[in-house]
Amino acid sequence: MHSGYWMIATIAIPLFTAAILVCVPDSRRDVVRWISAGVGAALFAISMYIFFAYEVDKGEGYQFFIRWDWLENVGFLKDHGISLAFGVDGIAAPMVLLTGVVAFGGTLISWKIEHHNKDFFVLFWVLVSGVYGTFQSLDLFFFFFWYEVAVLPMYLLIAVWGSSSVFPTFARTKEYSAMKLTIMLVAASILIFLGIFAAFHEAGLGTFDLQRLYEPGTFDEDFQKLVFPLFVIGCGVLAGLWPFHTWSPDGHVAAPTAVSMLHAGVLMKLGAFGIIRLGIQLLPEGAAFWMPGLMVLATTNVVYGAFAATAQRDFKYMIGYSSVSHMGYVLMGLATMNVIGINGAVLQMFSHGIMTALFFAMVGAIYDQAHTRDMALFKGLANKMPLFTFFFGVAGLASLGLPGLSGFVAEFNVFVGTFRTYPWAGALGIFAAAMTAVYILRMMSMSFFGPFNERWADLKDMTRLEMATGVLLLSFLLFMGLWPAPFIDRISESVIALPGVT
Amino acid sequence: MSDAWVIPLLPVAGFVLLLLFSPWLPRKGDWLAIGLMAASFVLACLVAADLADAIGEAGVGSFAGISESREWFNVEGYIEIRMGTYVDQITVVMLFVVSFIALLVMIYSTGYMRGDRRYGWFYSIISLFTASMLTLVVADNLLLLYFAWELVGLCSMLLIGHYNDKQSAAEAAKKAFITTRVGDVGLLIGIIILFTQTGTFNIGEILRAAEEGEIAREWLTAAAVCVFAGAVGKSAQFPLHVWLPDAMEGPTPVSALIHAATMVVAGVYLVARMLPLFEVVRGMPELITALGLTTAVLSALMGLAQRDIKRVVAYSTLNSLGLMFVALGSGAVGAAMLYLFAHAFFKALLFLACGSVIHATEEQEVDKLGGLWSKMPITAPMFIVGALAMAGLIPLSGFWAKDEILVGIRHGHLNDIVAITVFATLPITSLYMVRLVMLTFFGEPKDQHVHEHAHESEASMSWPLMLLGALAAVAGFVVFEGVGEALGFHSGWLGFVYNLAEGPEEFHVNWGISILSVVLVSAGLVAGLWIWAGKAEPARRAAAFSPFLYRMFLNRFYIDEVYQAAVDYFVLAAGRVVAWFDRSIVNDTGVNGAGETAWYAGWLGKFAQTGKLPNYALAIVVGVIVMAIVAFGYRT
Repeated sequence: MHSGYWMIATIAIPLFTAAILVCVPDSRRDVVRWISAGVGAALFAISMYIFFAYEVDKGEGYQFFIRWDWLENVGFLKDHGISLAFGVDGIAAPMVLLTGVVAFGGTLISWKIEHHNKDFFVLFWVLVSGVYGTFQSLDLFFFFFWYEVAVLPMYLLIAVWGSSSVFPTFARTKEYSAMKLTIMLVAASILIFLGIFAAFHEAGLGTFDLQRLYEPGTFDEDFQKLVFPLFVIGCGVLAGLWPFHTWSPDGHVAAPTAVSMLHAGVLMKLGAFGIIRLGIQLLPEGAAFWMPGLMVLATTNVVYGAFAATAQRDFKYMIGYSSVSHMGYVLMGLATMNVIGINGAVLQMFSHGIMTALFFAMVGAIYDQAHTRDMALFKGLANKMPLFTFFFGVAGLASLGLPGLSGFVAEFNVFVGTFRTYPWAGALGIFAAAMTAVYILRMMSMSFFGPFNERWADLKDMTRLEMATGVLLLSFLLFMGLWPAPFIDRISESVIALPGVT
Repeated sequence: MSDAWVIPLLPVAGFVLLLLFSPWLPRKGDWLAIGLMAASFVLACLVAADLADAIGEAGVGSFAGISESREWFNVEGYIEIRMGTYVDQITVVMLFVVSFIALLVMIYSTGYMRGDRRYGWFYSIISLFTASMLTLVVADNLLLLYFAWELVGLCSMLLIGHYNDKQSAAEAAKKAFITTRVGDVGLLIGIIILFTQTGTFNIGEILRAAEEGEIAREWLTAAAVCVFAGAVGKSAQFPLHVWLPDAMEGPTPVSALIHAATMVVAGVYLVARMLPLFEVVRGMPELITALGLTTAVLSALMGLAQRDIKRVVAYSTLNSLGLMFVALGSGAVGAAMLYLFAHAFFKALLFLACGSVIHATEEQEVDKLGGLWSKMPITAPMFIVGALAMAGLIPLSGFWAKDEILVGIRHGHLNDIVAITVFATLPITSLYMVRLVMLTFFGEPKDQHVHEHAHESEASMSWPLMLLGALAAVAGFVVFEGVGEALGFHSGWLGFVYNLAEGPEEFHVNWGISILSVVLVSAGLVAGLWIWAGKAEPARRAAAFSPFLYRMFLNRFYIDEVYQAAVDYFVLAAGRVVAWFDRSIVNDTGVNGAGETAWYAGWLGKFAQTGKLPNYALAIVVGVIVMAIVAFGYRT
């Protein structure tokens, strides 16, 4: 069997699952749950296979490559040079694994959803298939297509299953957050769309095939400088680029647990991935010209997000701003345009995905019981919920870059890469890592330590499913933190092959 | 020798096993942790013996240490990171100290921590700590060192916050982690600068590059200052000393292991290890000395007025650490390491004896203690041995170590002011140690209830005390060549542990210095006996003499308050400003503003839709005319 079918499976299985779930009667919630959990496990297994079967040292290019010939015979597609082409390189392989891990964790954590859980999972699986599609597409048209498939279900998932929050000074309804998120991301998509068609027209090859468009000399320098900002800002919005990041904290706060996990964990990575695929690979000279600018914005992201996080009282807002800060490290790594920095960026994409998913899973676990996320209302949870505190704490430690967990490996590479070219930005980045310690420990000492607040005497420690999710995510934090070589071997090979990277 | 990597691995196994299985093990698995630790200790001794043989073959002075490493990750041609071990004289001293004290503390804790709600967790984290600390000292490269450096910080935080339902413990844990993290920012920046300049993390290669001038001067200076910042944070030197006294919130065995004998000397170890690099940077030895001296003086003064017995001992630790940094600043690595060696014994002894007192009385304020001499026949004399060794009374270990430092300062390239200041702190050190002894063990019991219930601690706690007491008394003799050689230190301590840049030294006594130090220490002791004898009347008069000074000492010169204000009014306030800016300006004005602008444009546009035919007709006519003009103009 052609190995590319595994990739097709990751996209097709969730789509078919969505279709099958549509046919399940509304009342059969358990059937929906079991199907989803089974599919989640299967996708996780396939993703593991794709990651580990990816062969290092096989030479440049994409593995598992598959192009669906029969589509070329369909007149419309052929005429416009569109084909369904998929392939994985060393950058996409960890992203595929990330998607598998987070999606599986998301299905487990969503077990307790009662309200229209069928519809929830239908949208959930459509979203997952879009994510897999984007990470594996090698055709510009379908890249964009899957990208939109991944972004749009978010609106309903947040607006229907989300939660509104009221604070003393302001309020955020879930409808507002969902709408803001969707409009900002769609507006950004328009920039990408413009860029894609400008590139298609300029290249004049009559094809959307990325591998042909990647050939050097396809675009002249002026064009690259003109179009690169479209891609970087367009994709950057999804990656939480300052100052277009405000959809992210509000959106993550309003979203239901599994959607927060998937959105912060995987979807934001689509943005960064787009910067690599569309920005650096398609327009290397544009990248060389604009990257110092991106470095300024990325450094702002890192420091600004860290400071904003110290002032939050809501768990999810704190994690939301910390995501802004940590995605800043990804952008910082990309902006270095050197091998170590971009390696670090991709590592950080994986690491942040797992870590934030763990964070959001844990916050969901407590929110479902306590119906509040206000840190100041909790006190001394550690003795009441030791397991929960343990997992929350580990996510926090990964976030503040503790060696032995994935965050350190990733951030360390970003810092080394950044120091090469922009020592000031590297120093600010390391300083922000210390600020991370401030807000994480502030949160821990506020909610988890100190004398127990008897108001929460009814809280229970984690359920088995939450434990399973926690252990799943934790094992990947440790895997990358202790033995990063499998990741770095895959990533670096493809990063070295990127054009214009020193 | 190549087995050095197993030494930290054994306690790692203890950590993992206890973390996962301790609830189901008999005695929560403390025997497992202790057994693995004992194996690790034996292995450390074997490695030390191997090293002694290797040095014997190569000859002192030409022995370069033994290293072994394997790849962690590698991007061919860009970055290669190897993890490995490096064993030399400094390493084995540290290995011995860490594994020995850890073993004793674990045994002691079976008594001290019995019945604790999180007994298994405690042993698990102590194992992780020991593993990380052992990794730190055998690391052959700065990245692995940083790895372990952060992990010991984590364990320190977790153990300070062990009694996590106490708010003060949670706050102290947070403070310790964040304060040391400030230094760690520097350390990481320094490591990355060194990597960027030399292309390696290997300590030996970096030192060679620095000595041969391969690193640009300004980068070398920046890196040295940054790395030193890490040492300052971890070893609680001024201005980052504030976390150590608060760290006393942790269980006392933890204070003995982490905050006296091992983790806080990691900074001393790092500076000793990197000294050849620091010495080629102009002004760096002076900076090290200045901070060490400031710490020693401030802590000696602050120690005079504290009321919590553990805190007094904590200030004495700051005092000792300051002294070690002064020694390093004058290039006397052998003296600093000797002090570290002796300090581990007498300071662990002091803390464990404090723990015994606290365990017996459940009280740690000197105002409530007193008269315990008769109640605690083992703890009291052992505490006094520790206190006198700390004060530096001849012939206890503290004397020899301190004497070597004084000789080192005298022979170093430093100003006489340094020597005079260090001499001036000696009587103060003995004053506050005597004060502590007098107030705790002698005089009238201040709280009869506490006194009646006091009792000597059980065997698992008193045996480690006696062992440490004996070592605290005699450990200093290793400085003599005969004793040192007998124990495997070729050519005595100073010939064994030496400054790589300057080569082995010989032991020599400077009689003037020795006599002066003995006189000063004794003067402090005698004065202390007089001041705190009986009802301690002279002490009250001294405090009343200058209330201002007394308040300054008691409140630690208000340094903690200044830092707290800086955090509250700058860092957290900046966070609030950014959060407000983000919500009000970026989001509500920028993002919502864009949305509202679009809505407003639509609102304006709706007025074109009047629904009246004449308006539309007019628009059509105007439109046609405009198009005609445009088309006409375009043609010509």
